[in-house]
Amino acid sequence: DIDDVGHKYYLELELEDVLDKDRTVNCTAEVLYHLGSKTSAPDVQVTVQGELRSTEEADQEFYNWIRSLEKELVAENIPDSHGNIPPELEPIHLLAWVASGFLIWQNSTENTKFHLAQIKHVKQVKRSDEDLQFDYVLLLHEMVSQVI
Amino acid sequence: DQVLHIVPETFQQVQHLQLLCSTLMLDLWKPLLPEDIRAGEDLHIRVPAPLVQEVKDSLYQHMISYRVLIPDVQKLVDQSMPRERSSHRQVSGYVYTEYHPMEEIYQWMTQIQKNNSELVTQHFLGKTFENRTMYYLRISQPSNKPKKIIWMDCGIHAREWISPAFCQWFVKEILQNYKTDPKISRFLQNLDLYVLPVLNIDGYVYSWEKDRLWRKSRSPYENGTCYGTDLNRNFNSSWGSVGISFNCSSDIFCGSGPESEPETKAVAQFIRSKKSDILCYLTMHSYGQLILTPYGSTTKPPSNSEELMQVAKEAAAALTGKYGTSYKVGSTALILYNNSGSSRDWVHTIGIPLSYTFELRDMGAYGFVLPASQIQPTCEETM
Repeated sequence: DIDDVGHKYYLELELEDVLDKDRTVNCTAEVLYHLGSKTSAPDVQVTVQGELRSTEEADQEFYNWIRSLEKELVAENIPDSHGNIPPELEPIHLLAWVASGFLIWQNSTENTKFHLAQIKHVKQVKRSDEDLQFDYVLLLHEMVSQVI
Repeated sequence: DQVLHIVPETFQQVQHLQLLCSTLMLDLWKPLLPEDIRAGEDLHIRVPAPLVQEVKDSLYQHMISYRVLIPDVQKLVDQSMPRERSSHRQVSGYVYTEYHPMEEIYQWMTQIQKNNSELVTQHFLGKTFENRTMYYLRISQPSNKPKKIIWMDCGIHAREWISPAFCQWFVKEILQNYKTDPKISRFLQNLDLYVLPVLNIDGYVYSWEKDRLWRKSRSPYENGTCYGTDLNRNFNSSWGSVGISFNCSSDIFCGSGPESEPETKAVAQFIRSKKSDILCYLTMHSYGQLILTPYGSTTKPPSNSEELMQVAKEAAAALTGKYGTSYKVGSTALILYNNSGSSRDWVHTIGIPLSYTFELRDMGAYGFVLPASQIQPTCEETM
């Protein structure tokens, strides 16, 4: 409890590699939730103890696949109602997960608990350069209010 | 085998069809009972292959028109089988490792009772807002001594599909193993099991047909401008005090008063009537991997909190022992959030000693849309 500033949390975490379940990395983090009704994102500092594995190969594979498509990628309901994700769309799902992490961070307070519920819709946006761009509609579930 | 679709036009036709069904002991898919066959309403009958011609001839003779809905039932069954069929032992071809819509769950209940009539009976509990029938299954070994009851309900929140899947799995496991598993058979010597596979049927149907992430019931408020009450905020335990909303468009709308919803009333009425016999109340939800004890409306511990925690801790340990899935145990107000009007809290306040909410897998990776491939491990560890 820091007077006039907010609440600070000191965390020790273990991160699990989504692409390699047996691989874990320890981290420490400091999270400061600001006082007051003004909604600003909490301050976060993370230190990773060890190395995060390179995803370059998987990134390249995904990049090449998207570039090889004749039409811009469009998909919806990932996962579907039964929890299924077509294997080739798994990277789209992972990208959404990362993006939702940013959104969740920006909207978190000490009284929220967000998770990505589902990708409602994703659409690739055509670009003139070599970058990839995707427009997502994401459904986030907030545990306390139960709102999607 | 074929399934025929018939819409009887006259009362005479209805009578003939009823006679046909009972004489030939045909398998009614819709409605469930011959006495519910009505003129102008859909009738679906499964006709075993050797009787198909006879039945069609009889329909022709009585000028009853029909349509073949399913020309080959076996083919459809085979198509819907998962690839590995080895360890998924099924009751009459039912696939427990998939999610089922409400129609199929109704049929499943009928089949379960039919195939296990020495142990299982299906009972009427009440009706939902949209007038669907709520049934529970009573698993009871005949005996001359009175038995205490364990009650379990699933599907109070529509989008938590793994919950009804668990109730179905649970029933299947008990029925398949009660003769050979000493733990289960001892259980049944002393206890009756009451299982309500889907409490919020209207919501569940809605999550299949319209909105996969729907949570509440489907009763209209404010002149039909918003729908649904959070049934787990609608019970009479500090109703309307905390962790709720009085705004009907909220996902935690607690209704217009305690037990304002027919689904809540049906469950509450029944539990009230049996309360002196109920030893343990279980209500299954997802997600979060938690075993929650009373209360949600206050952090003040219940009178038997030590016992509640000890039993819950042992359950969590046994669960983790199966596949390493970790569950947290504690009172809702302490480890999750504040909420009032939950079924678990209400049940405890009327004197039922052991009352738990289970939040099944997962921790948010898939959340409500838990893949069907996780049904088996989730159910096995929860057993």
